[in-house]
Amino acid sequence: MSQFIYVTYIRAPREKVWAALTTPETMREYWFGMHQETDWKPGSPWKLVFEDGRVADAGEIVECEKPNRIVIKWRNEFKPEFKEEGYTRCVMSLEYDGELTKLTIDHSIEREGAKIIAGVSDGWPKILSSLKSLLETGKSLERFKS
Amino acid sequence: MAKSQFVYVTYIRTTAEKLWEALTEPEFTKIYWAGTYQKSEWKKGARWEVYTPDGRLWDDGEIIEADFPRKLVLTWRKVGGNFPEMKAEGYTRLTYELEPLNDAIMLTLTHESDIENSKLIGAVSQGWPMVLASLKSLLETGKPIEDSTKWPEGL
Repeated sequence: MSQFIYVTYIRAPREKVWAALTTPETMREYWFGMHQETDWKPGSPWKLVFEDGRVADAGEIVECEKPNRIVIKWRNEFKPEFKEEGYTRCVMSLEYDGELTKLTIDHSIEREGAKIIAGVSDGWPKILSSLKSLLETGKSLERFKS
Repeated sequence: MAKSQFVYVTYIRTTAEKLWEALTEPEFTKIYWAGTYQKSEWKKGARWEVYTPDGRLWDDGEIIEADFPRKLVLTWRKVGGNFPEMKAEGYTRLTYELEPLNDAIMLTLTHESDIENSKLIGAVSQGWPMVLASLKSLLETGKPIEDSTKWPEGL
């Protein structure tokens, strides 16, 4: 198995972090200009879309329990060497009540040395650092807007 | 190659000089790093020490490389507290790398040990995300994360 786990703490209530993770307009601010398209219901299709409309990743919502947990069956669609590795599983967990949220990303695939996991290991810290800046200061990081 | 390793990357809206200062100067670390402070001349070969808020030596080691404000490498072993297994593991190695990227600094932290399934690396893996999240909050908003400011009671 290949796995990437990242934990961060954001000074914002869980509902706000949840909204930032699931609202396309907010996502564009901190996720390289990309946004997700889905109705967030288990079994529904899920897509991560570039600014120009191309599909970056696609899959299905496996679990969605607001505001605690999202599980996505997730495959890359635009890089052949990632796509051929097949579906990954991405679990986003939000914990704590009050003004602080603990956010954990657990992104894995059932194969050793997966390139896709190396890829997301590079991307997640950028996305989550930018999300934390956005929620705590009102401004995401310039570099990761698009 | 290290047998146990923890790697964490975060991007902080600040300058490399300011981030270096926040990682090494007592007046900063006391704010976001459980009230602890470090003592060192921050030069290759210099001794490095971490103290609890009440002045007990907690961890120590030696500076391996100090390339201000880009790279800091040091050895780190457990000294204080009732942690016989972690103390028996001896020295770990900590590397901070600071790289400017537009309006932010990419901070890469690597904490590693030559021991398989190191207890010390396991323990710091639980602690680093909070310390670094609080450091980012402090530098970007002027306020640390409250949960990171206090030394654990009884430790």
